[in-house]
Amino acid sequence: MTELTQFIVSGLAIGMVYSLIALGFALIWKSSSVANLALGQIVLLLSWFSYSMLVEAHLPVWAAVPLVLGFAVLLGWGIERFTLRPLIAQPILSLIAVTLGIGYFIDGLVNLKWPQSTGALPRIFPTDTIRLGHAVISQEYLWVAGICLVVFLGLTLFYKYHRMGIAMRATADDQMAVQACGIPVTRIFSMSWIFACVVAAIGGILISSIGGISYGLVETGLGAFSVVILGGLDSFVGAMVAGPIIGLAESLGGGYLTPYVWSGIREIVPFVIIIIVIMFKPYGLFGERRIERI
Amino acid sequence: MSSLPCGVRNYSYAEDMAIVRTRTQWVLFVGFLLLLFTAPLYLGNFWLNKINLIGITLIAAVGLNILIGYCGQLSIGHAGFIAVGAYTSTILSSKLGLPFPVALLSAGLMAGAIGLIFGVPSMRVKGFYLAITSIAAQFIIIWIIRHWTGMTGGNYGLTVPYASIGGFIFNTEIRQCYLIIGIAALCVFFSKNIARTRLGRAFIAIRDNDLAAEVMGVNLFYYKLLAFFIGCFLAGIAGSLLAYWTGTVSPDNFRFTDSILYVGMLIIGGLGTALGPILGVVFIRLLDVGVLQLTPALQSAFPGMPGGFTTGIAPMLFGLVIIMFLIFEPRGIAHRWELFKASYRLWPFSY
Repeated sequence: MTELTQFIVSGLAIGMVYSLIALGFALIWKSSSVANLALGQIVLLLSWFSYSMLVEAHLPVWAAVPLVLGFAVLLGWGIERFTLRPLIAQPILSLIAVTLGIGYFIDGLVNLKWPQSTGALPRIFPTDTIRLGHAVISQEYLWVAGICLVVFLGLTLFYKYHRMGIAMRATADDQMAVQACGIPVTRIFSMSWIFACVVAAIGGILISSIGGISYGLVETGLGAFSVVILGGLDSFVGAMVAGPIIGLAESLGGGYLTPYVWSGIREIVPFVIIIIVIMFKPYGLFGERRIERI
Repeated sequence: MSSLPCGVRNYSYAEDMAIVRTRTQWVLFVGFLLLLFTAPLYLGNFWLNKINLIGITLIAAVGLNILIGYCGQLSIGHAGFIAVGAYTSTILSSKLGLPFPVALLSAGLMAGAIGLIFGVPSMRVKGFYLAITSIAAQFIIIWIIRHWTGMTGGNYGLTVPYASIGGFIFNTEIRQCYLIIGIAALCVFFSKNIARTRLGRAFIAIRDNDLAAEVMGVNLFYYKLLAFFIGCFLAGIAGSLLAYWTGTVSPDNFRFTDSILYVGMLIIGGLGTALGPILGVVFIRLLDVGVLQLTPALQSAFPGMPGGFTTGIAPMLFGLVIIMFLIFEPRGIAHRWELFKASYRLWPFSY
């Protein structure tokens, strides 16, 4: 029972971070139909950048986090402006391949700047434990979950009420109509990339403050694809619901299946879920089913 | 000038179907083959090593080209299927003592079979979903290899005996070179011909519009899975040769970034052409050699950088090249070569 509570809490918290990263994917997919396969590498780069700020430059948290977010804005803008914009209206293969190229480039960049393979962020959140029945839970997880909820709430409100948010939703719905209304679509694309990178930065800081920074973050980022696949590619609700499900599956599977199968089952759970979902319900729980015509 | 055909003029169907059409082309073709097969005799071990690597990569790239370039089924898990081939042949030859040709073929068949399993979702999904499926395939395959220690040796990998056919042992670079370029040449010829058959036409129809192809009577289920089988079969062959060539297999040789690089090679060379994989593979591998040669110089030129920083240069360069090609020449080097040939043929009149 004690174990179960611990698994559930940590699974939910990690799952929320997954949701956050997946949200970054859905933002871009919805507005511009670009599948961002460089997500894992972007999370890795931003985590290393926060390592630079917090550990190498010894900045306090209140100064470092805005700097990291500023770098994320720059990164998002740069990626969109210099690689995706020249490729507007190209076939989907080019769009997927270009994000792969970006991922490869960032991989190299990270190796160039931080060749050491692992790093640890200082603990940003208090690590005192709290008791929940018999279970002892690190307070960190609650902080992580809380921050994720705040970001979700902020994004949801932005999308619902802000002019830009409404324009972004409209672009997702019908690009032609939006252009006809005089909304600059390229700026929307740019905004969605910036948002995605900022969200990835927050996710990266949260997840690496718990688990440290290593190349495994790329796999975490790729694992976040299981969230978008399970939730449905074009659905924010889907990403928010599916994240905790994946996180739970990972932590419960890792916790209870390990004695019966090979160790490290945890790493592979998201990928197995991807295969299962694509085989049986390819458009996910909340995804819009598209009907194709010739 | 008149050595290359300037127009189409055929008197029989056989002439119409021929790959090599004029006498000059025959001379060039035979000359190229002669050059290719005599090159190992006067090249040093350094270049033989590179040629072997290029040959093995080429076999895998040709398979991927059939899958992505002709059939349009995006797969970013090719390194995983190469790993399946490498491990199958290693286990068969080192644990069961099966001869090289049997191990080679079984490696191909095994990788093809695994490819079929992960190809099944292509019936329902395409584009990004399929890409994600193949990424998942890559990670699942490598995870199984890492953890099935009893069979695969886990993270430590396995050692592989030399390949041998009937007492002839391929134990030097030059012997392996003949083996590898022989098989690579066969694979290129195979893929060149596949594109001209009913099969290749069906693949291209599926790539251009799979619904339209289905309406026209192309059996999507059969042809898509066949594309996966052929693509992964060649990946398995490449993996088997890689294992025999390097003498060891370890999961670290088959990373996700390698899978990305294979897609990148095809884009750089030109998707859906017979020439594309050759040009792309040679380009990337030579770039790699160049970076490796420059590494010591760079390391001494930038002493302020953290140690080991040069490992990042090659991936950065590859990523940059992939992005540049997608933006400026999405049809790859092969297309540029076609343009060059056309302008050469028509010179000095550009019409």
